[in-house]
Amino acid sequence: MAREAGSFLGVAVLVKQVPDSAEIKMDPQTGTLLREGVPAVMNPDDRLGLETALLLKDGLDASVTALSMGPPQALDVLSEALAMGADRGVLLSDRNFAGADTWATSYTLGRALERLGQQESLDLVVCGRQASDGDTAQIGPQVAEHLGWPQVTYVERLAVEECELRAWRRLPGLVQEVLCPLPAVVTVLASPVAPRWPLLDRLLMACRSEAPLEVWDAADIAAPAASTGLKGSLTRVVRTFSPKSGRVTSWLEGSAGEQAQALINELRNHKLI
Amino acid sequence: MALRSDPEKLLRQVMARFVREEVAPVARQVDESGHFPRELFHKLARMHAFGLRYPVKNGGAGGNATLYCIMCEELAQGLMSLAAIAAKQCLMATNFLHRFGDQEMRERYFLPALRGELVGSFCLTEPEAGGDLGRVSTTAVRDGQDWLVSGMKTWITNAPVADFFTVLCQTDADKSIRGLNFFFVPRDTPGVSVSPGFHTLGTRSTEISEVAFSDCRIPGRYMLGQEGKGLGALLAILAEIRAMTAALALGLAKAAYQAGFQYARERSAFGKTINHYQLIQAKIANLATEIWAAELMLYDTTRKIDAGQRPSKESMMVKYYATEVACRAADEATRILGAYGYSMEYPVQRYFRDARFLLYGGGTHEVLQTNIARELGF
Repeated sequence: MAREAGSFLGVAVLVKQVPDSAEIKMDPQTGTLLREGVPAVMNPDDRLGLETALLLKDGLDASVTALSMGPPQALDVLSEALAMGADRGVLLSDRNFAGADTWATSYTLGRALERLGQQESLDLVVCGRQASDGDTAQIGPQVAEHLGWPQVTYVERLAVEECELRAWRRLPGLVQEVLCPLPAVVTVLASPVAPRWPLLDRLLMACRSEAPLEVWDAADIAAPAASTGLKGSLTRVVRTFSPKSGRVTSWLEGSAGEQAQALINELRNHKLI
Repeated sequence: MALRSDPEKLLRQVMARFVREEVAPVARQVDESGHFPRELFHKLARMHAFGLRYPVKNGGAGGNATLYCIMCEELAQGLMSLAAIAAKQCLMATNFLHRFGDQEMRERYFLPALRGELVGSFCLTEPEAGGDLGRVSTTAVRDGQDWLVSGMKTWITNAPVADFFTVLCQTDADKSIRGLNFFFVPRDTPGVSVSPGFHTLGTRSTEISEVAFSDCRIPGRYMLGQEGKGLGALLAILAEIRAMTAALALGLAKAAYQAGFQYARERSAFGKTINHYQLIQAKIANLATEIWAAELMLYDTTRKIDAGQRPSKESMMVKYYATEVACRAADEATRILGAYGYSMEYPVQRYFRDARFLLYGGGTHEVLQTNIARELGF
């Protein structure tokens, strides 16, 4: 349903819990990420998305719902979202959701967003550009496809005007200003100001039983098992590893002219010039 | 029961990130400036950090001693000066106002202090009275409806930037410690004078000085608490003050340990990184063991405080032990770093200097050891 100008704005922000990249280390033997004992934190791009949504809320009659999919401990990122200023948090947690690729994840998120839209008006979905542990940047666009909504990606600033969205997209070497009808999905790669710090009183409030946090399972969003988790995934991650790289030193010999020619030949052989 | 996050884990995580992103990048610059870190102070205030341990109904966050100590510990890993300033604003500087201040004091001083708009300070030590409170000679004398406060306080943290003071005074010298009472003295009271800041070995951006009170006239209601109950009012928070000091020490010890641990894995000597040498391994193993012990002691003590107990002996033990661990950790870290530990380029020299600050607040270790022995029945 089209939003009326000046009316309440319902915003959902997708947040993911990821390993803290400042703490993560690589196993030099296997080249895999050592996740053991690494604290889990809110994905940095999602923090920018949340700040973008909260800035809208600061100036409008709006509510912000933070939505995450993950195991029970992912509730922590929703508690932090509440502490930053979100009004409500919803965690999608079900064994059937495990092992999902981006397609199954975005389907599940899409189902939850549809349910949110049935409960209260939902005009805008804000996502971080990408998760630091996957780097696919697919969730936002795929959620838009599942919802059948227009999408604006790589946004660094956002404004809601009447019934549409004005967004500034940061593209290589330029900024593109676009207008988009609501409802819409945006993915964010920067926010006009640094994300606000959680308020400690709200943080403690978010840990109490009366906090506005809910956990939804597959039945709550009427998501069939065949469409979620590993079963609903179109892709499989076979292996994650760091590409091996090494350095080989070649000594150029002869006169300066011969050395220069040899260098040019090397560069040509490697298609560098 | 609804699934909920663990507030201790979440708070630690948020404060650790705050330290990493906001404190660590400027820690050296703030330390070298020698000035009150006002920008960081305001950032903490905007997070509502100073009300962490006060009830929600009184403008706080509804936290407890454990959460307060977690915050102090994390801040101390970044910059001891800031941690000490925040610790004071949360507890000693505002606690008596919170417990005994009237509505006007609450609106005009307590809540603005929680918002970081005002800085509070706590005046206990005198040139001739430290741990020996019976020798406090600052007096408060009745004059009609008012009190006249006179005397000299020294080693007053935050005094150069403070907007108000909570001052321990003697109202009846014949009663010795039973004549002690706390008074609220705004900085702009005629007769208050603050000396220039001391030059100190460590915690350089924690401004410390003397405060002189010369016939400072304050209203009768500025006596904080019931007359003759000052010592009891202090004892009510003394265990928490000592636990907080232990938390600062634990944070510093962890920072020093991490610096030594990381350097030992990077620095090569005689063909291998120095973490492969047993004497370095012994340092790391001993520090890790002592830090773990200090941590267990600290949070065992805070949980007793949160349960409504007054763990006097335990708080003295952990303040004493954690501070000794901090001093050892800082010392060992500077040794592991070799000559780099002697350089102002690396933060371990700051840990080494700042650790000394912890030896005195909450009681010198010589006094504490005597008191612990007394509590053990010696």
